Amino acid sequence: MDELIIILVRGIGLGAVFSLVAMSFNVVHNASGILNFAQGNMLILGGLFGFFTLPQEPELVRWLLLVPAAALFYAAVLAVQGWVTLLPLRSSVEQHSWLITTLAVSVIIGAVILIAQGPFALSVKSPFPNFALLGTRTPTPYALAVVLAVAWYAALHWFHTRTVTGLAISAIAQDLEAAQAAGIRVRRLQILAFAISGAIVGSAGFVAAPVMSISADSGIIYVLNGFIAAVIGGLGSNAGALIGGPLVGVASMYAAFQYGGQYQNVVSLALLIGVLMVRPEGLFGRTRARRV
Amino acid sequence: MLEVRNLHSGYGRVPVLHDVSLAVHPGEVVLVLGGNGAGKSTLLRSIAGFIKPTRGAVMLDGRDITGQSPEINARQGLRLILDGHRVFPELSVSDNIRLGAAIRPDPGDFESLAGEVLAFFPILRAKLRSAARDLSGGQQQMLALAQAFVARPAVLLCDEPSLGIAQALIPPILEFLKNWAGQGVALLIVEQQIDVALAIADRAVVIERGAITLSGTADELKRDRRVQDIYLGLGAADRRS
Amino acid sequence: MTGLRGPDGLSDRAQLGLGIATVIASVALPALTGNPYWSHTFHLVNLYIAVAVLQNVLLADAGQVSFGQGAVFGAAAYSVGIASSLHGAAFPVAAAFGLLAALALGSLYALPALRVQGYYLGFVTLSVAMVFPELLVSFNDYTNGINGITRAVPALNVPLVWGLTPLSLLVIALTSGTLAAHAALRRTRMGRRMRVAAVSPEAALALGFSPGHVRSAAFVIAAVGTGLAGVLYVPVVGFLSPSAFHVELSIFFFFSVIVGGRGRLLGPILGVWILHLVPNVLMVDLVNYRLIGYGVVALMIMLLFPDGLVGSIENRLRRRLQQPGSADVGVQWIMAVTGTGRAKVAPAGTLPGATPVVAVDAARKAYDQVIALDDVTLAVMRGTIHGLVGPNGSGKTTLLNVISGLARVDQGRVRILGHDTTRLPAWRTARLGVGRTFQTPRVFDDLSIWENLQIGADFGRDRRRADWLFAALRDVEQRWRAQRPDFLPHAQRRLLEVLRVIAMDCDVLLLDEPAAGLSPEERRDFATLLSHLRDVLGKTIILVEHDLDLVWRVADRITVLEAGAIIAEGAPERIVNDPKVRALFTGKRDA
Repeated sequence: MDELIIILVRGIGLGAVFSLVAMSFNVVHNASGILNFAQGNMLILGGLFGFFTLPQEPELVRWLLLVPAAALFYAAVLAVQGWVTLLPLRSSVEQHSWLITTLAVSVIIGAVILIAQGPFALSVKSPFPNFALLGTRTPTPYALAVVLAVAWYAALHWFHTRTVTGLAISAIAQDLEAAQAAGIRVRRLQILAFAISGAIVGSAGFVAAPVMSISADSGIIYVLNGFIAAVIGGLGSNAGALIGGPLVGVASMYAAFQYGGQYQNVVSLALLIGVLMVRPEGLFGRTRARRV
Repeated sequence: MLEVRNLHSGYGRVPVLHDVSLAVHPGEVVLVLGGNGAGKSTLLRSIAGFIKPTRGAVMLDGRDITGQSPEINARQGLRLILDGHRVFPELSVSDNIRLGAAIRPDPGDFESLAGEVLAFFPILRAKLRSAARDLSGGQQQMLALAQAFVARPAVLLCDEPSLGIAQALIPPILEFLKNWAGQGVALLIVEQQIDVALAIADRAVVIERGAITLSGTADELKRDRRVQDIYLGLGAADRRS
Repeated sequence: MTGLRGPDGLSDRAQLGLGIATVIASVALPALTGNPYWSHTFHLVNLYIAVAVLQNVLLADAGQVSFGQGAVFGAAAYSVGIASSLHGAAFPVAAAFGLLAALALGSLYALPALRVQGYYLGFVTLSVAMVFPELLVSFNDYTNGINGITRAVPALNVPLVWGLTPLSLLVIALTSGTLAAHAALRRTRMGRRMRVAAVSPEAALALGFSPGHVRSAAFVIAAVGTGLAGVLYVPVVGFLSPSAFHVELSIFFFFSVIVGGRGRLLGPILGVWILHLVPNVLMVDLVNYRLIGYGVVALMIMLLFPDGLVGSIENRLRRRLQQPGSADVGVQWIMAVTGTGRAKVAPAGTLPGATPVVAVDAARKAYDQVIALDDVTLAVMRGTIHGLVGPNGSGKTTLLNVISGLARVDQGRVRILGHDTTRLPAWRTARLGVGRTFQTPRVFDDLSIWENLQIGADFGRDRRRADWLFAALRDVEQRWRAQRPDFLPHAQRRLLEVLRVIAMDCDVLLLDEPAAGLSPEERRDFATLLSHLRDVLGKTIILVEHDLDLVWRVADRITVLEAGAIIAEGAPERIVNDPKVRALFTGKRDA
């Protein structure tokens, strides 16, 4: 029974990280129809940010200040990536170049990490002690990830319903032409969407760093699981992402427990194929994808 | 003031418009009539920037805006209301209107912006908090008009404002457009049905297969029986003169 | 057809020759000069090229995004290793196992491809590629895990002649074979089908075949070639380990195609040379930078040369070599050409004279709350032109879709040429003898003009019955084989589409707003063509049109629709004077 609780707690925690990746997918996808493959490695970069900026002895204040710093830093990085990705789509007939350019960026980031840090996983020390929950000792970052996921969900909801800019991005997703006719600057807002997605994964990577596998290889695991979480919840729906993430996380943890860590990804793959064959639009999905 | 000079346009490889020229002055209501597939929508979309014309020019107050994107055109005072009463379905009525005003340099407060149009369409004020998708077609058209109104464009293009709208709701919509023109806006309206908008128009042109084949004042066209013949596809030989 | 000049500037045949020459030279030269390092390197490079060629077929010809070919390659290699090294099977037997394993995995990709496309398919195949090496490690009882498998095949390495070994010959044969197969595929029905289905699944259905079948076939074809390459990997490298089949291998194959130029025969060679040779061989110290190399090169290529390197070169060549002038696809000419077919295309099948060729009974169809068809009944008699008119949203296009099978009725029946087609898939309906044109002409710029016609005959009812048409077009065959339709003006594209429908040998033609974009003179000519099709070739035509002038001119009967229901039907003279119809089109109550 104890083991099941551990699986549940950690699964939800891990799932929260997947939810955050899924939400970062949604922001960009809603505004432009693009699925940014590099989000997984950007998450790893967020973890690396933690590796480099956190002191040996944990300090709460410093940690609190670094979360928004990570968010801002990666917002900038992804804004640049967004600009580069959108560039060829302006004029050329090749409307699917983003598939390759985002994959290429992902590969480049992975390669840079490999060269700079070597192939082995880095570990980041958690600035908080473990806490007790339902009779288990759980690393705090799992809980922090859940808090962050809920916080971003709320923030995005507030942004999309209470600010004019957020309303405008939401409008682009609902009716691109009507948005253009209303004078909404679509390109600019699409780059902003990339920036927001950067803030999400940057902060997520930083917060969850102690419980993440930070290596050149692991980005792909997070992007795949994040994608599955998004698909299960319905691509484009943040509420779906919030639910899909823990589902994938718990399934993944259970697979690791029951069959061994090497089978986690097989289970994820099975989940992905299952969802796509049975209900590709997910739980809350809108089937429309924005044109760029 | 809007001027279209010798416009040729189409979509993809398909040529639709041939050598179309017209002008709309501030305060004027010009009607574009024509049957299905004649090219009316293509004309508005080509002016607004959704389609890049292959030849010819579109001038706004003397400035060449041919092929400029719709976003930039909207910010420079030329606004298109798309056909099919398109609004943002998941946003509330008030948010829809708010977005319409977003491009103004100084948005001011909601009430001063929207007060005028909400007074004209009280049903919108009653449903201010409702999602746009819960409105009827006619109400959505009113919302689309309101959204464009608060942007205070200098030139307004309106694509089939009466399409899919209940009969009873058409007169208030047209009256609104007429008053709007009265404030000094240049209005170019595309309409399918001959009777509907001629009452509020100053001038009208008839498009047939992508070219203007008839034009005149609204009164002239109201009485001209050739208009009907064009709609019925009667060949020039069969036309009553 | 001869010559270096092709629709792309450098014809497939020229590229094939150049490619095979490169392959042979790259293997033979190191053998001749006795250089074991380069010999080994180019053996491996050529195996990679073979896989990349198949990836090219999958991506460019069939339009399938697969990031999983590395796993297929690895499955074959490991099956050979397991069978021969761990279980002592002879190499040929092991090779058979390897091929089977590749076929199994590669064909499996076809399943999700039937459901989803694009990036979804990409993610699924990428997951497989990611999971594959992990499974190899996990099942180390069967695979020896990270220790790997060693297997040399000495028999294959015995020098035969000029330093070439049987292995060298096999590698040359395989890689040249895949290049030749790709070139050959394009000239076959299957190849044309793939390229049409990749561009427009709708058009595929209307031309009489199922896009799903074609996609599955593409995956199987790719699996065979990739599997053979995987089998040869074992004797070439002699050692298998899971890290050799990491997900980056699949990404490498994909990027090779992109960098070299998708769809171009030489593309994979150039792509593999750039992405593998340069970092792995020329910059040995910097082998860790190989990955960055893939990424940066792919990124730069997408930003600067969206058509890849070979593609950009070809585009430049094309601009200089392009023959000016049109293809002279004119109405008078078509009428003359098809006029010879009067005797030969007497409608097939026997139907009693009074039976409608197309009969729709009480059809109802709704999309969510919107009623598209409301109790529509239609009867079209043989050898007539039947017009469908009505305002936007009246249901005329839905009716056409229901007849052609692209949409299904909720209630009611559709009978065509005596068969009940209500529940039939669209491609089967097409094969009964129903041809269709679309609002925007489905003319495929990736095929030559001649191939655009051939695809019509490929799945028409009876291919031989179209032979008279191709014989009549002998004069232009040479020119049309070398030209692509992308320079044709719209009106000629429309006529080309009609010509293709004639090549399909259909009895029934469904035309969706064919006059859109035609000038007044072109419309008059088109009306003449329609009458010719009816009178000389005996076709039955259903015409959806906005241009009422054209409809009054050619139609024998007209059905007028409004909001999904029929409001009038009959001969043109009656319809034109019907007050309901006049009110509908003019909006005037006092018509």
